[in-house]
Amino acid sequence: MELPLLSLITFIPLAGALAVLCLPKDLRRAIEGVSLAAAAVPFALSAWLYFAFDRSTAAMQFVERHGWISSSAVRIDYYLGVDGLSAPLVMLTALMSLVALIASLGIKERFKEYAFWFLILEVGMLGVFESLDFFLFYVFWEITLVPMYFLIGIWGGPQKEYAAIKFFLYTLTGSVFMLLGILAMYFKATPHTFDMLELMKIHGALSFKFQALVFLAFYFGFAVKVPAFPFHTWLPLAHVEAPTAISVILAAVLLKMGVYGIMRVSYPMLPLGFEWFLPYLVVIAVINIVYGALCAMAQNDMKKMVAYSSINHMGYCLLAIAGVTATGFSGAAFQMVNHGIITGALFLLVGVIYDRAHTRDIGAFGGLATKVPVYAGLMSLACFASLGLPGMAGFVSEFLCFLGAFPRWKIYTAISVLGILTTAAFFLRMLEKVFLGPLNNRWADLTDMNARELVSLVPLAVLMVVLGIWPRLALDMMNATMVNLAGLFK
Amino acid sequence: MISRAWLIPILPLAASLVILFFGREREDSPLPFVGIAAIGASLWIALRILFDVALGTLALPYENDWSWFSFAADLKGHPFILDMRAGVLVDGAAAAMLAVVCLVSLLVQVYSLGYMRGDAKFKRYFAYMSFFTASMLGLVVSNNLLVTFGCWELVGVSSYLLIGFWFEREAPAYAAKKAFITTKLGDLGFFLALLLTFLYAGSFNIVRVKDVVEMGYMPPFVVTLIGLGLLSGAAGKSAQAPLFIWLPDAMEGPTPVSALIHAATMVAAGIYLVARCYFVFAASPLAMETVAWAGLVTAFLAATMALVPYDIKRVLAFSTVSQLGFMMCALGVGGYTAGLFHLTTHAFFKALLFLCAGSVIHAVHTNDMRSMGGLSKRMPLTFLTMVVGAAAISGIPPLAGFYSKDLILEKVFEHSPAMFGVLALTACLTAFYTFRMLFLTFWGDGRNNERVSRAEESQAVMTIPLLILAALSLVSGWALEHAWAASPGAAGPGAFASLVGPGVAAAEHGATGAARHVNPTVLAASVTAGACCFIALAYSLYCGPDLGAAERLKARFLPVFKLLENRWGFDAFFLALVDIADRVADLAKWVDTEVIDKVFVDGWGVLTRIAAEISHLFDALFVDQAVDGCGYLSRDWVGAGLRGLIARGQVQEYLLYLAVGVSLFAIMK
Amino acid sequence: MTLSHYVALGSILFIIGVFGALTRRSVIGILMSVELMFNAANINLAAFNRYLHPTGVTGQAFALFIMTVAAAEVVVGLALVLAIYRRRDKIYMEDINLMRG
Repeated sequence: MELPLLSLITFIPLAGALAVLCLPKDLRRAIEGVSLAAAAVPFALSAWLYFAFDRSTAAMQFVERHGWISSSAVRIDYYLGVDGLSAPLVMLTALMSLVALIASLGIKERFKEYAFWFLILEVGMLGVFESLDFFLFYVFWEITLVPMYFLIGIWGGPQKEYAAIKFFLYTLTGSVFMLLGILAMYFKATPHTFDMLELMKIHGALSFKFQALVFLAFYFGFAVKVPAFPFHTWLPLAHVEAPTAISVILAAVLLKMGVYGIMRVSYPMLPLGFEWFLPYLVVIAVINIVYGALCAMAQNDMKKMVAYSSINHMGYCLLAIAGVTATGFSGAAFQMVNHGIITGALFLLVGVIYDRAHTRDIGAFGGLATKVPVYAGLMSLACFASLGLPGMAGFVSEFLCFLGAFPRWKIYTAISVLGILTTAAFFLRMLEKVFLGPLNNRWADLTDMNARELVSLVPLAVLMVVLGIWPRLALDMMNATMVNLAGLFK
Repeated sequence: MISRAWLIPILPLAASLVILFFGREREDSPLPFVGIAAIGASLWIALRILFDVALGTLALPYENDWSWFSFAADLKGHPFILDMRAGVLVDGAAAAMLAVVCLVSLLVQVYSLGYMRGDAKFKRYFAYMSFFTASMLGLVVSNNLLVTFGCWELVGVSSYLLIGFWFEREAPAYAAKKAFITTKLGDLGFFLALLLTFLYAGSFNIVRVKDVVEMGYMPPFVVTLIGLGLLSGAAGKSAQAPLFIWLPDAMEGPTPVSALIHAATMVAAGIYLVARCYFVFAASPLAMETVAWAGLVTAFLAATMALVPYDIKRVLAFSTVSQLGFMMCALGVGGYTAGLFHLTTHAFFKALLFLCAGSVIHAVHTNDMRSMGGLSKRMPLTFLTMVVGAAAISGIPPLAGFYSKDLILEKVFEHSPAMFGVLALTACLTAFYTFRMLFLTFWGDGRNNERVSRAEESQAVMTIPLLILAALSLVSGWALEHAWAASPGAAGPGAFASLVGPGVAAAEHGATGAARHVNPTVLAASVTAGACCFIALAYSLYCGPDLGAAERLKARFLPVFKLLENRWGFDAFFLALVDIADRVADLAKWVDTEVIDKVFVDGWGVLTRIAAEISHLFDALFVDQAVDGCGYLSRDWVGAGLRGLIARGQVQEYLLYLAVGVSLFAIMK
Repeated sequence: MTLSHYVALGSILFIIGVFGALTRRSVIGILMSVELMFNAANINLAAFNRYLHPTGVTGQAFALFIMTVAAAEVVVGLALVLAIYRRRDKIYMEDINLMRG
């Protein structure tokens, strides 16, 4: 029998979470060891996935299908599988979870509960990208919510309860609409089915009205997660209040669930609704890009700035999707991975300085580059990657996004290009104010990064450069799927 | 040797990584020699290529490429997997440019060994320098416009890092940011041009794009847009009007950096880009004309601005901008060879001027020319080489600048006498401000005796590059124009033309169809005479022991001076733009937190809360009361009665009830 | 000896047990009465098995199970009695009326 690779990747963190639960809370070392192992093994398995992945086909791979709930009325399957769209995201999730867990080792209070919730969160995120059954998809989707609520609400900053409840209610509202959409799809299909691949085939039988309506329901669910204007305001708040590692996960993985949903569900299942919504989607994308960048420029809080830059970067994904071209889809998929790595690194870096200085106010620093050269170097690297410097990961994907959107939306794309300039402006301004100029004597005894921080950051920095110089590492996985995706309705 | 052309950018890149990641920061760190060796090797390859071309054993252009990555693309609605290839394309211009960049970079790095000695970030400086050289060379050789754009941005970053090299002070940090963002503004146009190119040509390969353009498959309107986009990028990088504002500030970087990046190579990248994509401009008269005018306006404005500053590096910076304008103008009027020729010679004499200025600054520790004066006796070598450089840039025959500038003026005259008039005046102004600088620095008695009297000639590691560059400034114009028997098929006479010309012969002839013919000798003689007059004027104004004459002149034309010192208001304009952007950003932030978040999102929350309060009230008043009523009824009436009767807490009584009950059931069957 | 004899014996024992459980004041006595009722049931099980299905042993097996359970129950019951005695110094049922409504 073939090894159930995806199940292993998904449920080893669950086993780890249960094991952590059984350990006494005083055995800090053991908890750390178990939770790290529970995050590291899926990562190793996802690396295996990377090598075993067949790059020449757009079909689902590593498929596992077992009956789960079956009665005469409903049939729900435990149905997992990955293709070129989801496999990179699974790897990204496994990687970022491990990195974020390493970064969380500095958490002092209630580490046992933290590790437990964290691992449960990882299960949910991995499951969302892997499941091919709508019911299962929804279950995993909701599983991510609860741990997130506790992780923000317990280990967060001063306004943590407010941020946590806002995040929870906002995303829950979105997913309720998504549930409506799922049910609508279920009942429309004959025979009724939750099988996502089957549901992609019935669009011919769906009326335009139905598609538009269901599209809106799904869109609301996904747009909150992306987050697309105007459903984005939970993001800066949640990011600012969440502990560092959770911000990393939020930015690196949770936001991807929205874009993934649009590419996996909205577009293939509801082409007419999608087509109808395109003119609005592209406007939303442009607003995300330009407005997000402008908001970021006005921030004084480094973390908030990075949070708004996420809105800007996810706008590139939306723009690319709105282009409905193979290039655009590749760009969006690649941008998701790159944004995960880069913004994850940025949040980690902001966390590093916050741990030491207990402030994130850009104006409070100055001239740190002489004091903490390694930190300054890594931060500059991440900022340059984020502003789309060639040679770094962000450039290729952003470029593909623009290239994909351009044939269809020339003017909108031209406006969005302004976002690049604004992004450069606020990142450089931050670098100047924090690192350059004369040293602010308040920080005369600041220490440079320690080993744990380097262990979590250096791999990300290396990935940023490697993916920028040799993008085929990621793009080769996606190509076949993206060509197939773009060709669905041609 | 040409097959190793790909090594030319890779060697300095490797060197830069080695320097950055190995060894410790030490004053006598040996690592800089790694960078120098790498660039030396690159220079060797580049020279061998030139040599092979001269011998006729190598035919340019040479192209070779490798698969870089592949991505999903669409062709007329059909998705497929496109192979993105990257590689090298060496044509005549690229070969010349490679040699120039390698040579200047090598000399500047050797010079820096002396100039930067003792700096706390000695090693890092050389890592950045190598990185810059690698990106620049990559830009020059790449056959893929996307890679070109990539390297284009990377030279921008190296420039950012090097301008802000002494970031402990505010000014360099600010200048670095300003340079990066201003050039980025221009790059947006380049970016859009790339998008358009791919949309219509389906490739970034320069040769392929060229074919598409020349076959006329691209609508003229699109070609013009692409041309303007490229020009916008070039204007940012090459500091053309109105984006030249960053270059004077960029002088905050170490002087060798200014010599290499902001005089000889990086700022020439824009010119090179226009030359490399000349087919686009050749196909679009409007874009071509825009290039010419942009160059002309820049040349003139920058020359006027160079007349007033007392900071020696600022003068040189404006002079660079002005000279770049000359090149741009030349390209715009169809003088492909002339533009590139000037690019080459300018690289030599401007690097020379900057390095001389660096030598002077190194000796007197100030940029202010009013604190110099009379240095000719203290620094004879620097003095002599700088005179060569100044004469070269002023177009005094037979130095390098004479030949290239003459060629440009000739081309411009053929295109339009009015433009020629402005440009000739600019050439005279060039002579004036250059010699003003020279006189202020080296002539006259020391105005600040203390600084000057402590000045000493720089060490050999610095003066030898000066001498080499001076020699090149002396002979390169003549050599490139006359030596090397012209190969058949060249666009014009001369070696340089035969090197770079063949590729664009058609374009060049096409653009100058209605040529006016003029005797080149008369033209050259008159411009040279004009320049000499202006030099004399400069002598009379700035050569004395004090600046009385100059100050009186300034007092008389104060508004003009103010306007020039304020750089024609361009800085203010862009600062106002930045200010507006900031205000818009603040507005966006306010809208986001106060309107969208507070009203739309939290508003929903408040509405829900109100609805919840209402339903709570209803619940408490009606529904719950009804439930409670049932409860009270059963507890206080029914329950109380039963409790007193049977529930007395006696287990045996309960047991009795049980027995009776069971018996009853048994009886009833 | 017929089945009726055994059933009669069982009934008599059971009624004695019920009477004891209802009337004894001492908790110990009640426990003993409860045991009597168990044993009445055991006798019935064994007897019915013997006379109705002579080949099987199901009834006897049940009797054994009930004895085991009864033993466990007595243990718990006695423990409760001891605990009550320690707290209150007496074990009369009428005093233990915590469940009064």
